[in-house]
Order: sequence, then C-alpha cells, then structure tokens
Amino acid sequence: MKTPRIGSFWTAVLTLLIVYGLVKWGIPAVSREVTTLPFPLPVPGTLMFFYMMLTLIALFLMISFSDEALDDFLRPIKKLLRGGYGKAFRAAFLLAVPLLAGWQVYETIVPRAEAPVSLRIQHPSSNFPKSSEALKNPFASPTEAQVAAFIEQAKANEVTFVPQVQEDVDNWMNEADPDHVLELFASAPVKKLLAQIKAGKVEPETAKAALLEKNLFEGRALYAMNCRACHGDSTAGDGPMADGFKLRPINFTDNGTIETIVEGYTFWRVANGGPGLPVEATPWDSAMPEWKLSLTEEERWKIILAEYNLAQKTPRIPESH
Amino acid sequence: MPGPLKNKFMGIAVALALLAYAGTVQAASKPSQPMPEATEDFVEKGRGVYLGRCSFCHGLLGDGEGPAAKYLDPRPRDFTLGTFKFRTTQSGQLPTDADLFRTVSRGLPGTAMQSFDSDLFKNGLSETERWQVIAYIKTFAQEFKDPELDPVKSGKVVTLPSNRPPYTPELVAKGKEAFKKAKCSSCHGMLGRGDGNKEFRKDDWGFPIRIRNVTHPWKIKAGSEVEDIYMRFSTGINGTPMPSFVKSMNEDERWALANYIKSFQYQRTANQVLKAKPHDGGLPDSPEDATWDQAERMDMRLAGQVISAPRWQNPSIELVTVRALFNDTDIAFRIEWDDPFKDTVHKSDKEFKPTAIAKVGAFSSYVEANGMVPRGLETFRDSIALQFPVKQPDGTKKPHFYRGGSSDQVHLWVWKADLDAKGEKATEEGNARGWKQAIKAQAKDAQQITGKAKWDQGRWSVVMKRPLSTPDKNDVQFSKGIFIPMSVNAWDGSNGEHGLIMSLSSWHYVFLEAPTPIGIYIYSVLAFLIIGGLGLWLKRKTEQEETLS
Repeated sequence: MKTPRIGSFWTAVLTLLIVYGLVKWGIPAVSREVTTLPFPLPVPGTLMFFYMMLTLIALFLMISFSDEALDDFLRPIKKLLRGGYGKAFRAAFLLAVPLLAGWQVYETIVPRAEAPVSLRIQHPSSNFPKSSEALKNPFASPTEAQVAAFIEQAKANEVTFVPQVQEDVDNWMNEADPDHVLELFASAPVKKLLAQIKAGKVEPETAKAALLEKNLFEGRALYAMNCRACHGDSTAGDGPMADGFKLRPINFTDNGTIETIVEGYTFWRVANGGPGLPVEATPWDSAMPEWKLSLTEEERWKIILAEYNLAQKTPRIPESH
Repeated sequence: MPGPLKNKFMGIAVALALLAYAGTVQAASKPSQPMPEATEDFVEKGRGVYLGRCSFCHGLLGDGEGPAAKYLDPRPRDFTLGTFKFRTTQSGQLPTDADLFRTVSRGLPGTAMQSFDSDLFKNGLSETERWQVIAYIKTFAQEFKDPELDPVKSGKVVTLPSNRPPYTPELVAKGKEAFKKAKCSSCHGMLGRGDGNKEFRKDDWGFPIRIRNVTHPWKIKAGSEVEDIYMRFSTGINGTPMPSFVKSMNEDERWALANYIKSFQYQRTANQVLKAKPHDGGLPDSPEDATWDQAERMDMRLAGQVISAPRWQNPSIELVTVRALFNDTDIAFRIEWDDPFKDTVHKSDKEFKPTAIAKVGAFSSYVEANGMVPRGLETFRDSIALQFPVKQPDGTKKPHFYRGGSSDQVHLWVWKADLDAKGEKATEEGNARGWKQAIKAQAKDAQQITGKAKWDQGRWSVVMKRPLSTPDKNDVQFSKGIFIPMSVNAWDGSNGEHGLIMSLSSWHYVFLEAPTPIGIYIYSVLAFLIIGGLGLWLKRKTEQEETLS
C-alpha cells in the first residue's frame, strides 16, 4: 500500500503539535492514573520549554541533514512567499505572523494581577533536630515489659483505654455485657488472645498483636477528634475544613507525603505545626497547629500510628549512622 | 510520514483520549448488585468495619455518641431511632438499602460525614464492605426487623420519574409560582438563603435547626442536582420540619420547583487576587450603591478556626465576597456574606473562657457544639474583620495568616454589628502579633476607617473605607501595582461565635491596578514591525531567486 507523503515541513509541524499535546494533556492524564489523585498534576512551564526545545533541535537536525532535506523542508515556505497559494493568502500570512509576534510580546511583558507564586519545600530539613531522626513510635513497637503488663491486664479483664474512648467503651460494656472487654474487637489476633487466656497460656506475640489493635483503635479515635476536620476520614486531606485553606491539608494517601519521611519527622511536624517550619516551607500559609500545646506525647504517637495505618502507608526507616 | 509511524501516532492519540475519558468516570453511588443476604458472618464483618471507621462519631452502640460526636453540628446520626433524613421513600418511612448505600458512598456535604467510596479513595470501603457495614448499622434499630415496615415490600418507595423536563426560563418561571404556592420562603426565605424564620429554633437535643441556604450547593447534604432537589421535597426530611410535598404538588410542579431552586445556586469565583479598579470621583459609602456592580468580586473560602484552642469546627460563615474600589485619595471595600440572623447584641459576660480546654492533655481542645457556648439570639454580635500585614512582604514572606506573629504584626479592620445598631462608630482598627494575645485596639486618633452596613434577606453587606495612606506606622499602606496580602475573620453571633471561636480565610491578595506603562505598547509595536519587515524581506528575496532561476 502506498502512503501519501506529506513532506518534511508538515512532518515538523505535526511533530511539534503532537509533542506539545503529549506534554500539555498526555502527561497530566497519565499522572491521574499513576497517582489516582482526583486532579491531574500540571506540567511546569520550564519542563514544557525543555521538551519543545529538544524537539526543535531534533527537527533541526532532521531538516539540515542534507541539502535535499533542507530543500524539501523549505519548499512549501518558498511556494507561499512566491504567492503559489494565492496572493491574498500570502498577504494575510505576512500580516498575521507579525501581529502574532506583537501580541506575544505584549502578553509576555504586560503586568498581570496573578497571585505571586511561592515555591514551597514540603519536607524541610534545615531546622529538623537530628536527635529526632531515630525516634521510634513506642506504640507501634511496644517493649516486652509493656506487652507483659498488657497480658496481666487482659488476664484480669482490666484493660483500660484513653479517657476519650473509655466512656463509649463503658457504654458498650453495659449494653452488650461481654465476658471480656476485648471482645469489642472482632479481629483474629484478639480472638486468638482471648482463646489463649481461656486456655491459660498466652504467647507474647499474640498479646503484642492485640495490644497494637487497641493502640490503633485509640489512635483512630483521637485522629477522628483532632485531625479529621482538615485531613479527612479518608486521610486524603479533604476534611470538611480543607477547602477553607489555600494551602490544603496534606494528603497522607499520596505517595510523596508521610511515606517518604521517618516517624521522628512526623512527630516533630505534628508537635510544632506551621509555626515550627523554616522560611523555605512558607510557615505563614500553613494551618497545621502546634499540637504540643494541646496533645500529650502519648496522644500524638497514637495518632501517628493511626495516621499511617489509615493511609495504608509505612514510615521510612531511619538510616543507621 | 510513513504509514506505520502514522498508525502509531493515531494509537497514542486514541490511548490519550481513552485515558482522559477514564479520568472523568463518576464514582458509583449506585451498587452494582442489591445487598447480599445478611448472614451472621456478614454482619460480624460489618461490625469490624464499623468499629474502625464509623464508631468514633456514631458510637459503639450506634447512638451517635462516639468520642468525636460532641464537637459536631450536625450531630452524627443516632441509628437506634430508625429515623433517616435522606431517603427515596415516603415521609416518615425507613430508607431503602440503596438509600443507605448512597449516603455511605457519597457522604453528606457540609457535614462531618464524608464519602467512603473506595473508587474515590485508596482507603475507602469496597462495595462489599459498604454492604457489610450497612447490614450491621441496620441491627441498631428495631424497625428494620419488622417486615411490615420495609418500604420496598409495602410499596412506599418514591421513584424518580424519567420524564424530567429540560431546563427552560418558562420552567423556572413556573417553579417560582410553585415556590410561592408551597410557601417555601416561610423557612428558606425569598432568595433561598435560609432566612425565612424569624425565630431561632432548636431541636430536641438543643441543637440549632439550620434551614438550608439553597444558594450554596456545596453544602446541600443529599446532593445539589435537580433530581436530588426533586427527591428532597418529594420525600421530606424525617426528623426535621421539612415536609413532603407529594400531596400538595403534582410532578410537573415539583420538576419546575426543583429547577427554580437550582437557579438559585451560586457560582464561586476562583481568583486569589482582588483587582481593585481606579474610580473617578467619590467612592460609594453605601453597600447598596450600584457603583459596586462595576467592581470585580473575589470569593474567599473560610474554615473554622481549628488552629488553636478553642477550636471550632462548626462555622456558619464559609464564604465571603469582597469587592474594592479606589480613587486618588481613598480605598473602599465591600464585604458580603450570608447570615440568616441579624445579631446586634453583645454580652461580654457570656463569652467563653477557654482555660480548661487550652491545656496539654485536655480531653479535647475543640469547643463542644452544644452547651459550651450559648448559641441563639441576643447573645453575641455578628462581626467581620479584614486583615493585612503592616509591613508589605519582602519576597513571599508574610506574617502568619492566623493573626501574624511576634515579629510581624498584622493590621485588622474590625466591624461590629452591635456598635452599628447603636449608631456608634462600628469600625475598630487594631493590631495583632499572633493569636495568643487579643487584638490591640489602636488609639482613638489613629482610627481612620469609616464603615456602613446593611443586613437584608439573610445577607450582610459592609463597606469599609480609608485613605490610601496614613501617617500611622501600625497601619497597612496601599500603593498601586503591588500584591497586598489580605484575609478575613468572621463571626456569626447566633452561632455562638466570638473571640477565637470564628471562621477565617487564608491569605489572598488585593491589587490596585496601575495604568499599563507606555513602554509595553512600544515594544509590542516594535516586535510587529521587525517581524513584518523580515517577512517582506524574505518575500522579496524569494521572488528575486525565482527571477534569477
């Protein structure tokens, strides 16, 4: 089958259009698929410039490869300038191009009332205390002593919760009248623990998993009370208050947020909030509170445990020095 | 271009088009299949989901008394009552399974109930999980166990007719008649702003009954589309004064009314910069002056003040519309926001002292929705404040949007409805260096702002005016052609708001337009001439080549 040739001039024009389309619409469309965010990621203007320049260079190489190629490329242009497509069309073309140039110059230099762009570093490290780097969440990895204490409480059916949750648990106890308070949890590790208590032989590993379950439940409750309004039930940064802040609450389910930082960093950010940020992270736009003024360390760690769990993320492992 | 390559390009184009389409696919608020049989195991799985995702608001007993519930208005649903607001069943009936599925999937905008659809969120609930949790929720109310009360079996379902008429001006006009006939305005107000009731009513739990402001579609709980609106007045909203209009209005009237309500919905602007235009002559003092229509508007979104104790997540003012005009000497702002009640009294002795909740390890640092602060008429004033940095930012650095900081103070223009009602000077200029201290009022001779306000049909409209520059070093100074950060604080008195119990916006900008410098035109014309000349030269050269050859 013979395909019609369109000539190297139109090939060049078409290539430029396609590359522009790919960068302008293709990349954002693909970004939605990759990130699963509800909005596309925009392509920065400098990147667009870069791609277009590379394309132009490639096209220039193609065109100037040989005299024949150059002639082939220039043929439609010369035909136009000679009036081969009609004198009126030539006149219109010769007028339209300088008009376009003049308009472009005007558009580029005219002062515009658009909000000044402030570049922001999301995870600044300039004032992050090195001592916090290796902090571990004590409620994510309880010590042997803590597990042992929990086993004793569980055996005596005296497991207690943070006060924020205790009241509702008590209500449930009165109504449901269970044999053991941990029957609240329907999960496998807790069921296993309760069976082991009954059998009189409790494995620390089972107790540890059940303790984690309890910590998580408390953490989720504290998250719902304190963080949900902005960061949302989904932890996607879309709580009922989120739209009111120009710098939107962070989306924890995004791959570039809490997964890329160590727990100690999260703890430091939760404690010091917006006002604790260095200048490069635009602290004046951040609505993140200084939680150390309201929440205890235990509450903050339990919230962080729940935050990672709800977002289905794990913190970055601190590098060993 | 050779064939195979061309095909490749076509392939990519098609793939891109498909991708773009995939991105717009709506999340499913309709289940792909009806609710599976609620076996013991199925319900127990639902209990697990409920414990981890729902119980913190709705309570372990489903009574709407979870640990986070006290701080929320609207309060989380008490499932034990068997009363559900948003249904497709007749007034007073139970919801269908699909109704519950819709609410869990879509959430209720304007409340703490968010969408739990796993098509929308990575960690949302799958369709099966949603059905499991619904099966569990249904165990809380006895009513669901009675087969006689099943709205599907007893034929009490309201089906949406498929003959929705197209949106036309005639239909909207007909809807206006229906609006009058059904006396919608007696609650919702003539303009739909929820200001029809002069009385401040509370429900059985002491919560204010909020009449929906139907002009704000983003807060309409069960959806803002014509079909959703049609369904609401066909089913009524159980547990509220909103009745069903099935008996008093025929289908055509209901479609017309739904379209009329839809026509009320406000379109927000998205600009972050308020462009103030130069104005010849005097600036308008009155908020009703028609001159304001010539000024560009900027909508500012507000959130509850949740940054420091006392935290408040039930703000009533979430949108403020600002316009600005200036002349050679002065600048004037007009600030508008919806508020169904005009609160012009302020009782300082009723103000909340947040000492107990402002400590580390307090049970909660949020203000309870009911009981901690009085919510009702005749207690606190309505008020608004514009906030500017005193020193204009160097680069992007500015004071914190929440009242600045110790080293960078902000200038606040506060307008108070109680002073206005008493005929006193209603504007107060003050400064703040962070939220820890109250706003410090400026000296009497440094108070240059004048203000005028009007409340009409559920909307405040306030004008504040000041000279562009003042001799006061604690004042913001306005010059042309720069971006001046601006934000707002807002208080709705009858919602219990005062002090830091308020709503606030982030930084936006106001920009006083300067005339375009003449150089810009010169450069543009120059570019035109150079490129034009080049074109003519090339033309001549090509023609010469032709004659030569």
